[in-house]
Amino acid sequence: MTELASAIPRDNERRGLRLPGGLLQVTPAAVFILLLFNIPLLLMLSWSVGTGDEPLKYFAALARGSVYMKVLGNTIYIALLTTLACCILGYPLAYWMWSLSPRRQMLVLALVVLTFWISILVRTYSWIVVLGNDGVVNRVLRWLGITETSVPFLYNQFGVIVGTTNVLLPFLVLPLFAAMLKLDRRLLQAAESMGASQATIFFRIFLPLTIPALAAGSILVFILTLGFFITPAILGGGRVPMIANMLDLLINRMPRWETAAAISTVLLVLTLLFYAAYQWIEKKSRI
Amino acid sequence: MDNRSALSRWLINLVGFSVLLFLCLPIAIVIPMSFSSADTLAFPPPSLSLRWYHSFFDDPRWIEAARTSLLVAFASSTIAVLFGSAAAYGLVRGTFRGRRVLEANFLAPIIVPQVITALALYIYLAKFGLLGTLGGLIIGHTILGLPYVVLLMMVAIRSFDVRIEQAALSLGASWQEMFRRVLIPNLMPSLLAAWIFAFIISFDEVIVTIFLSGAHETIPKKMFNELVLRVNPTITAIATLLIGFTVITMGLAAWLAKRGGVAAFAR
Repeated sequence: MTELASAIPRDNERRGLRLPGGLLQVTPAAVFILLLFNIPLLLMLSWSVGTGDEPLKYFAALARGSVYMKVLGNTIYIALLTTLACCILGYPLAYWMWSLSPRRQMLVLALVVLTFWISILVRTYSWIVVLGNDGVVNRVLRWLGITETSVPFLYNQFGVIVGTTNVLLPFLVLPLFAAMLKLDRRLLQAAESMGASQATIFFRIFLPLTIPALAAGSILVFILTLGFFITPAILGGGRVPMIANMLDLLINRMPRWETAAAISTVLLVLTLLFYAAYQWIEKKSRI
Repeated sequence: MDNRSALSRWLINLVGFSVLLFLCLPIAIVIPMSFSSADTLAFPPPSLSLRWYHSFFDDPRWIEAARTSLLVAFASSTIAVLFGSAAAYGLVRGTFRGRRVLEANFLAPIIVPQVITALALYIYLAKFGLLGTLGGLIIGHTILGLPYVVLLMMVAIRSFDVRIEQAALSLGASWQEMFRRVLIPNLMPSLLAAWIFAFIISFDEVIVTIFLSGAHETIPKKMFNELVLRVNPTITAIATLLIGFTVITMGLAAWLAKRGGVAAFAR
């Protein structure tokens, strides 16, 4: 039997794959992604570099232009608040899911995964119905007599953050929940049998062991918010500009490709830096 | 002591359930809204009607957008599955150097913000006169779907025992025969699941479409443009149809992926 097993790979080689194994199969996809993703991306990066003696002039213009810096700052601010909101809401949700019975766990998990797959457009749009001037929340507030006029929840930073948090919450909750499931329950039992209180068990064992997964999920949410486009456009009503919306404006309304390319380069570098941090933490959290 | 832990238990239940409610609220609200008879977005709807569904199905522009969406999603997911599953096989079973770099390259469109992919393709396709064509749009959507196909198929192929392939080959099957009669039938559920994932990604796509599609309208692009301008209750009907479509197809994909041995694959 062992003889046969060792004979098979040799048999494969004899059958004459002229290329090293697997190269043939990856070629179409590799050519496709090279020609239609890598090269376009590199070309765009090259657009951001000026010609002549001032290669960084577009970046210098970005740094001087107060509008661009303001939008960049605004985007980072919104991304930070969204990340914070996702942490505050996501951790209890993941913990609650972890503590449920298997059957309920399946049901809640299915709901979370479902929201994950529903079109972002649909999930964003619904907030107009919920938070609009004549929306559910405002009507309840008026009915309760808390306010006389409508509270402007939408078309400001608050509305955008509610929308992005709602859309991105599963990105934090799903990996966090998976990390909690992998946690060795015997550690908790051991602590309990030695007389630790539930609070001690949570704060000294459970939380420290799940913090890396929370950090990884937070970075993911942060990166995704940086490039967000749909939610700020709909729930911000043009009053909460973020990088992606500015890029849309620079390309589709007033053709200034070089400036757009320079902004994209900044966004790409930011994203890749944070992604490297994410990979590093994710790797650590698995140990 | 017992009182305190009962209280904290109760608190966790309350907070957890509230967050779940927050997560599902948009979907729970939009479905009843779509059956409203009112012109405004009042909730709860004053009375029920199907007028917004009529206003969708009777509008030739929406139907045209639906046809474009379906065509682009069908073409891009098919190309993504053809290229992506072959690439996944090469990455899993291959022995060549640089597989990890290539894998990272295939997955890069997930990490690079979509607006950057859209912008890069915009400039690139404009050079070749492909901007605003259906072909250009299909290319853009294929790039976004490909990473998910590669991810899912790599898991599926890894969980398929290589010795079955070797057995077929050692019993005299040619490579083509082995692929056609052993590998592909066994991977069929996963292939279908990957196809559905890529289809949904394309069908819901907004950003790349806005940049590349020119005069062509897809359902999400038209929805987005209408939403930015004004509040149109027809959108609630479309949103409900989209939710139904997603639930059915994703349920099917999850079932297929499970049959294919790919457990709990999530975007």
